[in-house]
Amino acid sequence: MRDFSYLRASSVDAARQASALPGAMLLAGGTTLIDLAKCGVAEPDTLVDITHLKGLDAITVDDRGATIGALAKMSGIADHADIKSRYPAVSEALWQAASAQIRNMATIGGNLMQRTRCPYFRDGENFPACNKRRPGSGCSAIGGVTRGHAVLGTSEACIATYPGDLAVALVAFDAMVHLGDRQVAVDDFFLLPGAAPEREHAIQPGEVITAISIPGSTAARRSTYLKVRDRQSYEFAAASAAVGIEFEADGRTIRDLRVALGGVATKPWRARGVEAALKGKVLDADAVKRASLLAVEGAVDHGANHYKIELAPRVVARAILKLGETA
Amino acid sequence: MTVHMKRHGDASDGTEAVGGRLSRVDGPAKITGAAKYAVEQRLDGLAYAVLVESTIAAGKVRSIDTDAAQAAPGVLKVLTRDNIPPLKTASDWLGTPPPDAPYCPLAHDITFSGQHVAAVVAETFEQAVAAAALVKVSYDETPAIVDLSDAKAGDGIPIDAMTKEWGDAATAFAAAPVRICAAYNTPREYQAPMEPHGLIARWEGDQLTVWEPSQWLDGMARTYAEWFGVPFENVRLVSPYIGGGFGSKALALGHGAVAAIAARMLERPVRLVMTRPQTFTGYGGRAATRQTVTIGADADGIIQSIVHRGVNETSIDGMWVEPLGSTTSIMYQTPNFSSRQNVVRVNSVVPGAMRAPGENPSAFGIESAIDELAYEVGIDPLEIRLRNYAEQDPHAKKAWSTRQLREAYAAGAERFGWSKRSPEPRSMRDGNQLIGWGVAAGTYPVRRAYGEAMVRILADGSVEVESSSIDMGQGTYTILAQTAAETLGVPADNVVVKLGDSRFARAGVTGGSRLAGVMTGAVHKAASAALDELVGLAISDQRSPFHALQANTLVVANGRITSPRGEGPEVSIAELLASVGRDRIEAKGDTMPANSTAEERYKNYTTIAMALPHTEGDYSRYSWCAHFIEVRVDEDFGTVRVSRVVSALDSGRLYNPKLAESQWKGGIIMGIGQALLEEGIVDRRHGRIVNNNLADYLVPTNADIPDIEVISVGIPDPHSSALGGKGVGELAIVGVAPAIANAVFHATGKRIRDLPITLEKLI
Amino acid sequence: MTSKTRIPIQLQINGHRHELEVEPRVTLLDALRDHLDLTGTKKGCDQGQCGACTVHVDGERVLACLTLAVQAEGRAVTTIEGLAEADGTLHAVQAAFLEQDAFQCGYCTPGQIMSAVACIREGHAGSDDEIREYMAGNLCRCGAYPHIVAAVRQAALEVAS
Repeated sequence: MRDFSYLRASSVDAARQASALPGAMLLAGGTTLIDLAKCGVAEPDTLVDITHLKGLDAITVDDRGATIGALAKMSGIADHADIKSRYPAVSEALWQAASAQIRNMATIGGNLMQRTRCPYFRDGENFPACNKRRPGSGCSAIGGVTRGHAVLGTSEACIATYPGDLAVALVAFDAMVHLGDRQVAVDDFFLLPGAAPEREHAIQPGEVITAISIPGSTAARRSTYLKVRDRQSYEFAAASAAVGIEFEADGRTIRDLRVALGGVATKPWRARGVEAALKGKVLDADAVKRASLLAVEGAVDHGANHYKIELAPRVVARAILKLGETA
Repeated sequence: MTVHMKRHGDASDGTEAVGGRLSRVDGPAKITGAAKYAVEQRLDGLAYAVLVESTIAAGKVRSIDTDAAQAAPGVLKVLTRDNIPPLKTASDWLGTPPPDAPYCPLAHDITFSGQHVAAVVAETFEQAVAAAALVKVSYDETPAIVDLSDAKAGDGIPIDAMTKEWGDAATAFAAAPVRICAAYNTPREYQAPMEPHGLIARWEGDQLTVWEPSQWLDGMARTYAEWFGVPFENVRLVSPYIGGGFGSKALALGHGAVAAIAARMLERPVRLVMTRPQTFTGYGGRAATRQTVTIGADADGIIQSIVHRGVNETSIDGMWVEPLGSTTSIMYQTPNFSSRQNVVRVNSVVPGAMRAPGENPSAFGIESAIDELAYEVGIDPLEIRLRNYAEQDPHAKKAWSTRQLREAYAAGAERFGWSKRSPEPRSMRDGNQLIGWGVAAGTYPVRRAYGEAMVRILADGSVEVESSSIDMGQGTYTILAQTAAETLGVPADNVVVKLGDSRFARAGVTGGSRLAGVMTGAVHKAASAALDELVGLAISDQRSPFHALQANTLVVANGRITSPRGEGPEVSIAELLASVGRDRIEAKGDTMPANSTAEERYKNYTTIAMALPHTEGDYSRYSWCAHFIEVRVDEDFGTVRVSRVVSALDSGRLYNPKLAESQWKGGIIMGIGQALLEEGIVDRRHGRIVNNNLADYLVPTNADIPDIEVISVGIPDPHSSALGGKGVGELAIVGVAPAIANAVFHATGKRIRDLPITLEKLI
Repeated sequence: MTSKTRIPIQLQINGHRHELEVEPRVTLLDALRDHLDLTGTKKGCDQGQCGACTVHVDGERVLACLTLAVQAEGRAVTTIEGLAEADGTLHAVQAAFLEQDAFQCGYCTPGQIMSAVACIREGHAGSDDEIREYMAGNLCRCGAYPHIVAAVRQAALEVAS
């Protein structure tokens, strides 16, 4: 790890100013940043520690929505009674992520800034080419070991998978990222790689994530997060789905449906095609399975990750049908 | 390291005797953080070394720019091939005299990605890590042979010593009414012990002390001594606790040489620990293998012929043979058999020993194939194994010393409920989950060797046992305390066992499941000699309170000495020693033939050349097991989870069932990882493992493992060891992967012949 | 090149105050092991993938390898060395690990035990499956998992009674 200076921010404003300086980075739970600094991917000159700031970890939930302070820990949100009852998908996405220790460290703000697990991104010594790490250097993943790589939202410059779980649930329920005065929809906060995969988030130097808010909805109340992976725990998703559903009074006709995918795309992937195909329809296994295929519309594989195109719609379908069963 | 015995359990129930369920005596140190592992020694002036590894798989180092690293804060030295003194080439583990050529652990000629090319030594760990990233190596790269399927790899080198043939297998196969033929592959797998490889090296004059996790102190000391051209006695290896080895910590390796060179050049103790990614290329895991198994049988499933061909990877300049015909040739009776093996050179680190090398991948082939045969002829997979049961060693043509495999099948099947199995594939389900039941057998030879131990009875009546053998979790500390306590008739908490220092009585390798048998025998012999001397003194020394009794013998129990019929005095061992004016009784037990020369003794402990063949004499000696495993396969997702395991195992007599059961379960769990998760994935453009870390090389987590039931069906085997035990550590992994693959077939109707069984193979 | 300044920090570890000077990049794990000779906390991967370095910070289990030492200032750190009582009486989890033979080589054990203590305190030891999931962040290559589950189950009952 390269040497760096350490600065403990005394306020959000101080953190903004300090992090705007060249070479400065915000340090929260450290589970991504310290890891990437050890890999040599992150090379900060100064770390601005915001974990001692007070008042940024509150979780408030009411009928209109939930507001979660940026420094709230993943574990605290996962176990929060109102999050569990009003946003089960959010709680489930959290407790299925990483490990209990990491969830005790990682903040929700830092979680949004989590970076890809692409092995080529993480190993610059052996794989110098990576457009995310060194813009313009090429993509080592394309033509390489691609089993974990994305099939949706890729570009010729980058096929790295967005690895997180929480943001998949957030994007399904139209959450907003609070950057001080400015708010950005989570869906817009995450950027497609396009020709500039080094830019992953719609956040400017000097901006600090202060909170996340999630509108309240009936679909969020009846929601789930289904994560499929090789190992039962402590692993990133092969494919996952955050799904929420609201039925008409008949209990069978779908009034509102939210579907987002994880583990298969370059960003948390809202599957609006599936939502549109099923809204207004009566819940039916065959219809759900057919519509779920729309989740991977436009998917492109790179060989070893082809299974994700098969798997993702099945995960979506299972999650929708599971919610239907609890009607 | 010294471990003081603490009693757990009541001595009156036999807990402390050999065969008792005494809790781990090194446990208290391990659960409080007091156990100091090798690289945790605090030494004055310690410097920190970090390795720099090659980023190409084949070619030459053109140049190494060390300027920036050398100028970095705290850097003491940047080592490259150009500025370190050459060592001498050391002999191999058979003791084969080495060529008279220099050895350099930092390479110019690159034969695999991850080869050590430089090292940085600095005042602090952080400085060394940072400076290592500044070393710039440029290469002239040449094409690499990346793996077994590389077109450049060819068919490899035939290993004639692996050929096993009898009858006329090809003709019998051609004539057989039922024929199956399939190819089975296993990938590169890694031991991945939780403690990474590393060491501290310190020179004092020409005396070298190495604190290093080691499965073989004497063997590694020999290598260090030969590298540096110093007498064997000048090298002291210290390895008090070992954080897992699984075969990977038996030999002195290049990184050890680098640390010892650095320590000598800097005249300071140097610590070098591999990073977790470096552990994937710093030494070899299990070689990737390919096997074809053909079986010819009659309509009743009776095997007429087995033809087996195997291939494993080795490195460009090293030789590793993973004996793939080992299980194939002994598991079933067959009149005609042929097994041959090639090794193929690829640009990788030389593969190495990993839990049950040979038998494990071999069993994946034959135990999958016999299952395929069972379905082909429509016979229950357990029944077909019984029909082809080998009543004697089909290869050695000798009687089994003991083979409780039939008993294992029966006990396991009963407990598992095998008779309730629905035979058809895809016939058992629970919602989206297809349920499958599979069975497979495993085996491992009883490796035997000579051992040595020191037993001392001290003035206070306590007992000290010393050996340069080691405990990496198998329970050596505990079973040797039990052995000494039982032999001498003292409470187990009066026994102190000292292991892990090459200054102690010598020991051979802790590998191949041989240590327990070897060392209990040696301690038993030494303790018996000490007891004889104690009793002899008590009977014949004029100052002894027993002298007047003129007894032929005396009884020592619970640390007290009495006459057999209870007449005369009762005194403690301490009182007896005081009465005869002795401050100790010391006996070295040595199970080598009495006329062995010093050279033979040295060879016995520092090489594996004197190991006793498991088919020596009239018997063939193996441990055996049968695994019954239930899997649940998600029909849509292809994910496989093991939901139930019942294994019945024949390891002969168990010296401590509590610890043996733990080791068995550990082997089964590693087998679950092998079956479902573990695979070194090679980037074929770079010839490099890309998942070289514990997030991407998946080993099982707690959540992947169900309750596991193990049943001991062993009986004491007098032909295998002094106290009747066979092997424990390697056995249980053998057969797990095929049992799971067979269960997956039963669940899904899909036969997976390439490990691991990942979800994309099932959807 | 000059090193960034070493900074003086105070750490509260197992109830004792320690003063040391470290570079900001020194992790809590390396501070414990290399600077304070508290080697009970183990380094298995140094990249947040194995759990061997699990310690408690302000009572919560975290990974010392991804925590900077300087970040732990002002917080209470508990390591395996601080778990038993001062008179040597073992914590219920430690005793259960011994009784259930919940370890072999012992290298992951301090992390397992620290994780188990927290798992019980968090209320995540309600069933065997829950224990398995909430102990999944601590890898054990010897394969002591079933015995770890038994030990956590046993200790949870003892702690509750």
